[in-house]
This record gives sequence, C-alpha cells and structure tokens, in this order.
Amino acid sequence: MEFLNNITKIMLPEILLIVFIFIQIILSMFSDTKFYKLSKWLTVLGIFLAISLCSKVSIDPIYYGFKNSIISDNYTIFFKFLILLSSFLIVFLTKKVIMSRRDNAFRFNALLLTVILGSLILVSANDFLTMFIAMETLGFGMFFLIAFEKGHCSKEATLKYLVISAVASAVFLFGVSYMYGITGSVNFSSIYDYFLNNNPTLLYSMAAIFITCGLAFKLGVIPFANWILDVYEGANTSVVTFLSIVPKVAMFGILARLLVFPLSYSFELTFILVVISVATAIWANCLAIRQKNIKRLLACSSSANASYVLFAAALVSVFNLSTVLFYLVAYIFMNIGVFAAVIILESSEFSNKLYEFKNFAYTNPVFTLCFATCIFGLAGFPITAGFISKIYLFSAISRSGLIFLPFLMIMMLTIVVSVYYYLRVVKFMFEKSDNVTSEVIPHKVSSAIVILYCCAAITVILGICPSKIIEICQLMAYNI
Amino acid sequence: MQHLSVLILIFSPLIMSAILFTPFFKNNEVRIRRFSKGFASLHFLYSLLFLVFFNPLNQGISYYEEIKFFGTSWIQPLGFKMAFGLDGISLLMVILTSFIFLLALIASKSNIRQKHKFYYSMIFLLQTAVLGVFCARDMFLFFMFWELELVPMYFLIGQWGGGNCKASAMKFVLYTFLGSLSMLLGMLLLYFYNFSTYGTMTADFSAISVSSPEFPIFLQVFISILLLIGFAVKMPIVPLHTWLPDAHTDAPTPVSMILAAILLKMGAFGVIRFNMQLLPEGFQYLVPLLLIFALINIIYTAFVAYAQMDLKKIVAYSSISNMGIVLLGLCTLNLIGFSGAVFQMVAHGIISAGLFMLVGIIYIRTKTREIADLGGLGDVMPRLMGFGIILSLASVGLPLLIGFVGEFLVFLGAFNSPVDELSAPIKIYSVIAISVLVLSAAYILRLLHKTFFANIFEKWSKINDITNHEFVVLFALILAVAFFGVFPMSILDIIQPILANILEIFKI
Repeated sequence: MEFLNNITKIMLPEILLIVFIFIQIILSMFSDTKFYKLSKWLTVLGIFLAISLCSKVSIDPIYYGFKNSIISDNYTIFFKFLILLSSFLIVFLTKKVIMSRRDNAFRFNALLLTVILGSLILVSANDFLTMFIAMETLGFGMFFLIAFEKGHCSKEATLKYLVISAVASAVFLFGVSYMYGITGSVNFSSIYDYFLNNNPTLLYSMAAIFITCGLAFKLGVIPFANWILDVYEGANTSVVTFLSIVPKVAMFGILARLLVFPLSYSFELTFILVVISVATAIWANCLAIRQKNIKRLLACSSSANASYVLFAAALVSVFNLSTVLFYLVAYIFMNIGVFAAVIILESSEFSNKLYEFKNFAYTNPVFTLCFATCIFGLAGFPITAGFISKIYLFSAISRSGLIFLPFLMIMMLTIVVSVYYYLRVVKFMFEKSDNVTSEVIPHKVSSAIVILYCCAAITVILGICPSKIIEICQLMAYNI
Repeated sequence: MQHLSVLILIFSPLIMSAILFTPFFKNNEVRIRRFSKGFASLHFLYSLLFLVFFNPLNQGISYYEEIKFFGTSWIQPLGFKMAFGLDGISLLMVILTSFIFLLALIASKSNIRQKHKFYYSMIFLLQTAVLGVFCARDMFLFFMFWELELVPMYFLIGQWGGGNCKASAMKFVLYTFLGSLSMLLGMLLLYFYNFSTYGTMTADFSAISVSSPEFPIFLQVFISILLLIGFAVKMPIVPLHTWLPDAHTDAPTPVSMILAAILLKMGAFGVIRFNMQLLPEGFQYLVPLLLIFALINIIYTAFVAYAQMDLKKIVAYSSISNMGIVLLGLCTLNLIGFSGAVFQMVAHGIISAGLFMLVGIIYIRTKTREIADLGGLGDVMPRLMGFGIILSLASVGLPLLIGFVGEFLVFLGAFNSPVDELSAPIKIYSVIAISVLVLSAAYILRLLHKTFFANIFEKWSKINDITNHEFVVLFALILAVAFFGVFPMSILDIIQPILANILEIFKI
C-alpha cells in the first residue's frame, strides 16, 4: 500500500514515461515503416503529459519515498521540469535520424524516453544506489543512441563512450564503497547526519573525491573528458544535442545535492573540484581553437561551459546554487539553438566544416542572425542570456572568498580564448567567397527552424529581462 | 525640462537600426543613406536640446529615468537597475557622440561601397551602445553597453575594412574582452564589498560612491588596478595599446573617426566614473604610478608616431599620445588640470576625427597611405590643404584653436598640482611632458609637409579636390575647432561644477 502511495504521490511523471516506453517497444514489434511518424508524436505526447503531471507531484513538505531513497521537493521538480522541457524541444530535432532509420523509429524513441526516465530518477535520488541505477539507465540508453548512426565514426564513438563510462562507474562505485565502509549507509541524509557527530577523516575526503570523479564523466570534465570530441563528432547530431543537455543537467542537479548533503564536509573536495574545473576550462578552450568541425568545436564548448558551472557549484552556497540553476536554464536554450542550426545545415546537405559556412550571411540572413545570436550568447556577449548568466555566475564565485580569485582570473583568461573560437564561426558566416557555391537553405518551414528561432528569441529575452527567472532560481535554491 | 527623454536619446538609434531592415528600404542605397543621415541630424538636434535645458549647477543627476520590466527592475534579485541619467561630463560626451556619428554617416558615402543596410544598422547599434555607456547610472548596465559595443565594432572593422581587417577586428575584440573581464572582476568585488559593508544590494553609481573608512586600502587599490586594466585597454595606455594602430589602419574611414573620437573617450570616461568617483583613495594611491604611465604614453608614442610611414598610423599614434595628456590631466587632481583633461577629450575627439577624415580623403583618391608615395597634393587639392593645415595646427596646439586649450590647462594644472606633495615629482614630469608639443609639431608638420608640399608627382596631377560631402564634414569640424578655441568657457562652464564636485572627495 505504501508503495502505491509513493508512486501516486511522487513518481507520476516517471511511471507515465515507463508506460510510453512499453507502448513504443510493443509497437516496434508490429509496425512497418509506414507509421514511423507516429513514434515521434507518441514521444511528444508522453513528454507533454509528463510535464503536466509534474504539477501533481507532492513537494510541500519535502517528501521522502521508497524508504528514503527518493526525495521530492521544489528543487527536484525544477530539474525535472528543465529536463522534460529541453527534451520536448530536442524531440523536434530528431526528424532526420528517424527518416533515415524508419524501421527503427520506435526503438529510437523508446531509448530516448529511457534516457529521460533515467535523468528524472537521477535528480530525485536520495541514496547512492538509486543514483547509480539511474546513472546506468541513462548511460545505457545513451550508449545505444550514440550507436544509432550508421558508419564507422559512430562505432568508434560508441566504444569510446562505453569503455570510459565503465571506468568512470567503477571509480564511482569504489568511492561509494568507501563511503559505506565509513558511515554504514548509502543514504544521503544518513551520511550527512553521521558526520554531524563524527569528524570527517581523510578517507572520507578520498571517497568524496572518487565519487565526484566518477560523475565527471557525464559532465565531460577532466579527468574523464577525452571522449567528448570523438563522440560529438561520431554520433548523430540530434543525439548529440540530447547528450549535451539532458544528462548534463541531471548530473548537475544531483551533483549540487551531493555537495550540499553527503559530501559537504570535505574542504579538499572543494579545492580539487575547483582545480578540475579550471583545468577543464583551459583544456577545452585551448583545444577548441584549432577545430575545423563545428561539432567538435561545440564539444569543447560544452565541456568548457560545464567547467564554469562546476566552479560555481563546487563553492557550495545558496547563492551559488541559484547561479548554477540560472546558468543551466540559459545554456539549454543557447545550446539547443546552436545545435538546431547545425541540424538544419546537415539536412540541407552542408557538411560540418566551418569553411562551408561562407556566404551564409548574404544568402540566409535570418538564419544567420539567429545562429549568430546563439553563438554570441555562448560567448557571453550582452543582450543575450549568456551575458547575464556569466555575470551572475562570476558574481557567485567572486563572492565566495578571495582564495579562489586567482582561479577565477585564470578561468576568465580562458574565456577570452573562447571568444576567439566562437567569433570564428561568425566570421566564416560573414565571409564572402566565390569558390563555395552559395546555396540557399530551403525556406520551407521545418520544426528545426522554428526551434532555432524560438531559442534565439528566448536567448535575447532572457538577456534583457532575466529578473523573473533569476527569482525562480533563487527560490528553488533556497529550497534544497 | 520634463519632456526630454534620455531613453529616446539612447534607444532611438537601436530602433532605427531595426527599421532599416523593413521592406521600405529594399536595397535602395540612396534611400538608406539619406534616411540614416536625416535621422542622425535629428538625433544631434535632440541631443542639443538636452544642453539647452541643462543646469550645470544641479548637484544630482539630470534627466534620470529607469526602465522596468513587468514592474521589476532589470535584475531585481541583485539590485541591478536599468537606469540612465546625465551629468555634465556625460552630457558633453553625448553631444560629441551624436555630432561625430552624424559626420561619420555623411563621410560614409564615399567610403562604403557594399552591404549598405547592414553597415548603417551596425553604426546605429554602435551609437546606442556608446550612448548607453555614457548615460548608464548602474555599474553593470555600464558594463553591458561596454560589451555590446564590441559586436558592431567587430563587424564594422571586419566587414568594410581593408588590409588585414579580419585579424585586426579579432585583435580589437580579444583585447577589449580581456580588459573588460578584468573590469568585471573589479566591479564584482566593489559590488560585494559594498554589499557586505552596507547590506544593500545595489550597483547604482550614486549609491556606491560613498567611501567608507573601513574600506581597506589594499582592496581599493586592487579593485582600482583591475578596473584600470579594462580602461587602459580602451584608452589606450601604453603596454596595452597594440590593438589600436592595427584597428585604425584597417578600419574604414568613418569607423576610424568614431573609434578615435568616441571609443577612446569611453576609457577616460570610465576612469573618471569608476576610479575617481567611486574609489578616490585607490586612485590617489596609484597616481604616482599612473603619472609614469602617462609620461610614457605621451613621449613614447610621439616618437613612434614620428617613425611611421603610414599616414593613418601617424594619426593613430598621435591619438595615443593625446590620450596620455588626458591621463596626465586626470592625475593632477586639481580643477585646472582635471577640466583640461575633459576638455582635451572633446578637443581630441574633434581633431582626430578631422585628421582621419583627411587621411581617408587622400586614400580614396590615391589608394595609398605611404608617405613616400605622396607629395604635392596641395597643388591639386587646395581646399583640402586649407582644412588640413587648420586641423594640423589645432592638433599641434596653436592658440585660439581647440587643441591649445586642453593642453595648456593640463600642463598648467600639472604645474600647480597638489600631487607634488605626494612624493610624485609632477613638476619634473610636466616639464618632460611639455616636450610633446615639439614632438607633435614634428610628426604632424612632417605629415603635412610630405603630403601637401614636397615632391610633386606626375601621377597625382589628375585627382580631384574634395566633394561637397567631404567639405561639409571638414567644415563642421573646423567650425567646432575654431569656436571652442575662442570660447573654451562654453564647454568648461558645463563641466566645472561636476568636476569640482568630484575633486572634493579627494583628501588632498
């Protein structure tokens, strides 16, 4: 009875997604290629219903379900909403991959929903085992999605992803086992309470470091960052969009909770996370300078952005957490916008090479404007969400104490480098060249174009009047 | 005057830049240009109205206005406001901006040959950004416009420039971005220090400017340095100046005019707004150091200018040298020197715009800027030579022309400066700095001599004198040069009350 009660109170969106996953799997057995469009609309419907069910979840007071292993509060519901919203946008970008593999359309969507399910459970996890299971659900779904694209590159990417993922999981579990050994529990709240009465030892710090290093894989930061370029290049672009946003948002959601509760006693961890994030910023931004492929460039960019957020998240405070949330909101829209543009280009038979972007500004002005808006947003230029979110994030870091100021300065230097490679993309679009045949992107309205325009518009709106969203983020951060 | 809106002043260019993309303009070059010029003239007249109804003796901020979104201020949770207002210095800069942009738009006719719509919209976007910087009443709003200015400048230099313009545009953006990130860090520290001392989250200039006795001096100095790096890139001050000659050389003439006349002033304006108004003690602490930088700026770049073979580079380096004089004036910390510095900002704005116009006119006709290739142009272009001589003499600092007033006041101020008691031998510095008058005469007269007189080349015997458009631009500048040279008090009256106000904060 308690089980059912739990389900109806806090797991409604997840249960709904499971139902839709089964529907998709069953349909995949019977369907022939004619109904491939149905799969997409089923997914859209599923995510839409899940979003609307989010409001039914009980969050006040904080609800602990399934013997304390699942938590439900304002903070988790915010992340669930964020994950579902971004997935909702990304589903509209999957047209091409479904068209190319019509026979597998239902399977593709079932996997997509599995990853979303994993992310939803991950942000609401309240013990390490639930968290691990959610992470693996997410990881395995992602693994098949990356392998979905035909071709040699995708196989290499899949293998790389799988192997490094396995190593990272092992490291994570190793840390968890130490934590269990010290405290006798895997529950976040119990571990937190245990150290209220006991002094944290060096072993505890080591366990904490191993756990967060395990998480570094999904975030794409050092020490498990080197998969990111090849996977981004090899996998299908719509899958990459998904990969760069949904698992990452979920990971930051759980990481912030870990840092606030079970891992909050280790100063060494804070320090190491700061070093890791600065190292990642240097690594990713310097690597991006020479990239000629937009997808590889965006891989570096996503890694760099993760490192900025990690810096703020590592210095735990309510204010920092609110900046992390706002940065994630802004990042979602800018990133989806940029990837939508890349997908539009791919479907118009452009390759991902930067030099093919020449002449765009003159043949496709509106497209260029929106694309450039999102790129400028990522670079942090004003009247975009990127500008506000960067100021907000840095304000949090600089408030956290003068000790971290040198690190912040190094990170800012790498941001100057990042401006260079973002502007390079824009530069190519405005370059005139007679060698490249100036093709016009087809003007028929596709969902990807609508998504691109929406994301560019939201990027600008968030950049001009961000007040309300920041207030919501602060509210959520106070509630953790 | 209640009906003048500073918001219209700032955002009307932005709206104009959007209007240019409406179907009405199609790709009709003439129509786009005429509307732009018409709009810019109206804007200039409108900005003059602000001067008419301005009361310099008003202690606070005139024409204060704030934008609210759905009842909340810009970033309510952090206390950032989108508030604008004018004091004497900003008013002066706003009018200068509007004036120079009008002239730059007129000058665009002969310089811009492609992508007109995009060009004019970028110019107007730039105008909004610059006006926003001068009018902002909130630190982070100031920063937003400061950064916004990079986007149009990147395109203006990169798209319509010559030579290696893409690289120069990138260099300009990266340098300024580096400076502005350091500035951002300074602002954040200032903001949070203010917050932790007084408990109010605000970034308003007038709310933050109270210097508290508990504010540790080392922190003030540290923040001052961070901010100064940002402004030094823009101004520019010597080790951070290398973007400027490249950007100037490769930018099209109207953009060079704007860059020299307005954008460099943003740096000096920032020093006044932040370092002097908000962090007086930190500034005072750094004055001995800044004086040395100012001296290097003045003398070193004057020598470099003398060594250049490219006309535009000579003018570009002379700009840096002149901004050194502005910095020297700011460091004197007395009313004479300080008002001389602000006057010099205006004077240099007008003169350098004229000199860049001059070089641009020559370049369009001869397709070269090398001094060695030029000569005897006075023969075929007597009108241009007339204007050129007046502008050059103003730049050298001939009495009764605008250049004289600023330099004279700065050196006079430096000689009587109270900084002398602060361990900095400013009298010796100013004696050394005065030698710039000779140096500037050397490089400017060399420019004048080699282009208009000297060898007469057969190949230049066919070129035409200036067109009506160019005449209008140069004539307007010459008018300003002569008028303010004879009546400098018309500018000094506007700024001196606010400058005296700022100087009161200094305990010296």
